Amino acid sequence: MRPLLLACLCWMLSFASPAFAMSPPDGLNDLRPIDESQWTSASAAHLLQRAGFGGRPDEIAALTRLGPREAVRRLVRWQSVPDNFVPFDESDLHDPGLEPFPASRPATTDAAKRDGQAIGVAAKPAGNNRRLQPVTNKFFYWLRASRLETHRLSYWWAQRMLVTPRPLQEKLALFWHGHFATSEEKVRDYRKMLRQNMLFREKGNGSFRELMIGVAQDPAMLSFLDAGVNVKGAPNENFAREIMEMFTLGVGQYSEHDIREAARAFTGWNAKDLTFTIDAARHDDGIKRLLGREGPLDGIDVIDTLLAQPAAGEFIAGKLYMYFVRQEVSPALRTELGSRLRASGYDIADLLETIFMSRDFYSQATVASRVRSPVELVVATYRQAGLTQVPGVPDFNEVTDSLGQKLFYPPTVAGWAQGRSWITPGLLIARSNFAYDLVFPDINFIPPDRYPSADFKIRDFSDKLALGFDVTTASKLEGTDMSSMSNQMADRDEEFNTRLASFRGWQMALERVKPIPRAPARLELTRLVLGDGCRTAGDAVDALLRRFVSAPVAPATRARLTEFLQQELGTPDLAAARSYLDEPLRQTLHLILSLPEYQLG
Amino acid sequence: MNKSNPVDGLLSRRSALKAGLIGTGWLGGVPGVLQQACAATSARDDKRILVVLELSGGNDGLNTLVPYGDDAYYRHRPKLGIRRQQLRVIDDHHGFSPGMAGFERLYKDGRMAVVHGCGYTQPSFSHFTSAAYWHTAMPNSGEEYGWIGRLADVIDPKLTPNFVVNIDETQTLAVRARNHLPVSFDDPNRFVRKGLYEERAVLDAAPVVQPQDSASLRFMRDVAVSARESSQIVREACARYKTPIDYGISPLDLPKIAALIAADLPTRLYYCAYRRNAFDTHVQQAELHQRLLTYASDAVSAFMRDLERIGRSKDVTLLVFSEFGRRVPENTSLGTDHGTANHMYVIGQPVRGGHYGTLPSLTKLDEGDNLIHTTDFRRVYATLIEGWLGADAQQVLRGRYEGFPMFG
Repeated sequence: MRPLLLACLCWMLSFASPAFAMSPPDGLNDLRPIDESQWTSASAAHLLQRAGFGGRPDEIAALTRLGPREAVRRLVRWQSVPDNFVPFDESDLHDPGLEPFPASRPATTDAAKRDGQAIGVAAKPAGNNRRLQPVTNKFFYWLRASRLETHRLSYWWAQRMLVTPRPLQEKLALFWHGHFATSEEKVRDYRKMLRQNMLFREKGNGSFRELMIGVAQDPAMLSFLDAGVNVKGAPNENFAREIMEMFTLGVGQYSEHDIREAARAFTGWNAKDLTFTIDAARHDDGIKRLLGREGPLDGIDVIDTLLAQPAAGEFIAGKLYMYFVRQEVSPALRTELGSRLRASGYDIADLLETIFMSRDFYSQATVASRVRSPVELVVATYRQAGLTQVPGVPDFNEVTDSLGQKLFYPPTVAGWAQGRSWITPGLLIARSNFAYDLVFPDINFIPPDRYPSADFKIRDFSDKLALGFDVTTASKLEGTDMSSMSNQMADRDEEFNTRLASFRGWQMALERVKPIPRAPARLELTRLVLGDGCRTAGDAVDALLRRFVSAPVAPATRARLTEFLQQELGTPDLAAARSYLDEPLRQTLHLILSLPEYQLG
Repeated sequence: MNKSNPVDGLLSRRSALKAGLIGTGWLGGVPGVLQQACAATSARDDKRILVVLELSGGNDGLNTLVPYGDDAYYRHRPKLGIRRQQLRVIDDHHGFSPGMAGFERLYKDGRMAVVHGCGYTQPSFSHFTSAAYWHTAMPNSGEEYGWIGRLADVIDPKLTPNFVVNIDETQTLAVRARNHLPVSFDDPNRFVRKGLYEERAVLDAAPVVQPQDSASLRFMRDVAVSARESSQIVREACARYKTPIDYGISPLDLPKIAALIAADLPTRLYYCAYRRNAFDTHVQQAELHQRLLTYASDAVSAFMRDLERIGRSKDVTLLVFSEFGRRVPENTSLGTDHGTANHMYVIGQPVRGGHYGTLPSLTKLDEGDNLIHTTDFRRVYATLIEGWLGADAQQVLRGRYEGFPMFG
């Protein structure tokens, strides 16, 4: 009796909060479309939160007016929305000598010893002059240059997320980036990362089959999962395993035998620089047996065989659902979504339309229940703050990295784990510190794309060279006993010095990689708050909470914030405090963005 | 030279005997006696610390501690096999990878126990599934808590703050607990909440609790409380710590752990990893793999010397493991694919060094050319739980696993 009473009480209490007022408690797991009559500005805000990077008040108002069907349609089928896409402005970094780029520094110097040249640079004639130094320099140059350019790439992507009129296109590209997780760490070629990113943007809401084929033939993915060495008579199973485990079926839906057979079918698939190629001589066209299908299967046949499995529909639909709706998906719903996806020929837009229209999507259990990913959080914060340019300070890559999600560098082939794994004590503090760095940009900021701030060895080395130290002495690290094998071995080869190469690589990369603009955010909180018609400190707190926070905030928390702002202003009256309103508002915003509630969306 | 006589298991037995060891698995340890012995010797010493280092990505154990005395190894690894002359030979059958001077030293000093053939039945070849099995110590169960997390709940029911520390970008399943909230952070310098003086009161105030708060919000709040309790302690400990010891090019997170141990935190369980699937060496692995091992070996041996320096080496035991080994035959890309059984290393001054368990056969492989495991990995967990920390392994592991007499 008593638990029931308590449950009723909680249920009633939840209605006291405006954010929940729109959520009929019976919508859970219900895929039927919501009624027009239930569509409110809160629904539109929720939709923009999930299908994009949060809506500003004007965007929410516009979407509210459209009604649910048209609102969802515009987001999902973005091709009809006029675009403002700006292509990536590449630095001029690459040259043909760099292709194909060797697997490692030793592979590079070994090749130079053997062939007299490598990566487009000749070894010096014999002599006591570090004859392989220029080759080694260039090797480190490209590693550094590609990394720095990838950081520019993520700035460009973040900017696109911030201003795009097609937010779901970018949100979905982010999903696919995590699903088909490929890291620059291994690819080491920003050009390939850019291409893959464009693929996600172009095919993200189309047929999953097309997308899967595109990814299987994508130079970044081919490089990431070792396609180059998957050849007839010598299949390498890395890609075959991941396409089943991570991309289509999920673990437990295939045998080790299936993996080996699929690996054979993909033999000969490779990329020549930026172009997909099939090397017929290296393709195994023998009979393969895979998941009940038999024949001289090739890569496309494998993909079709995988997608014919009910498990594939469920796996992909389930993962999309968990990303866009809730971390927990009931088995029945997963099966239902999976069969719908498969029946539609893997039409992603169809599935997303169903999801975003469903009563389930607007149910109480769904709204503001999701832990926002770092990139979502940062971009949404900038959007709500009214910015039109991703700030140069704090550095977008440093921030998102410290929060656990650096674009183009997913941690493993499984992508980012999502959900509660985004939150640890360390990561929660980092989120709060991001807010601080936004409202009070660091005056000691040093741009990491101009200065090897994380690498004191390079700086130390550079100083010593200028003082005339010889390279070997300059390479020594002070302050440690230098007893580790790795440090002892680092510079053993007399034909080159890796620390010198790393230093020169930095220098060469800095000359060529375009700088990231470093303006801090220009926040206009006074205008924002007064523009919303606020008159009192309480109004201002409410306006900021409304704009930034989706989850309901307890009245006591609101009271604390109001008291704080009033205290800092010396008056509850905003008009009286107008000339000095900015800094207290910044502090208040910092406090709001540090709330646990802010992490949810 | 025993290359002509690769009788499986025999050599490990001989090596074990040579190292003065008795009572390894196949000599028949008696769990009851062992438990009693542990209870008697450990006296529930509150200073005893367990550090776990996970080599993520599936470390190629055969090329880590190379069974050079077995011809079958070279038959399976015609290109990747490391010749005896290059190895750091530790006995008449095994040698460490060339860069692992640190491991060689630890072994020869009798501070390293190598447990052979560790794995589980019906192995998973997925990194993430297999890692989850190792993390939970309950393969195929869907268990939601990690073995370190359950261990913390068992040995510290009063929930001492900062009892479990996990240094990584995200929290590992291994430390997830029903009751304990592990302190997870990456960079100690960033593990501090920025805020102006005027803001502090609001910033540090306990979050407001409402009955209708969602599960997500309650979770977030709990983490916030833990963050408040630990960040300052951790940061100050790391700021105070300076070491002359060279941890090598990639020190992993071990210097941070040394700093926290030096600062006498109440932490008894530390967890860190060689991150980001680093050991997933499918292609051209020779140079890369040796480098990874050199880094790991440098960092581990420096950590041990650092512990000595701060006078805590008798209090700390380190476990090193990986979610699986690699396929026995090399692949044709000069790399190795996902495999099964592997070594586990238990390292530290308190450890009775030597070989434990039975060498898996290199000639009798499973149908996928993989090693058939000879030691359930949970026996090593049980050893650490009972032998080192003096807790009830059965309660933590939810099954009975015979430990090895590595301690006391």
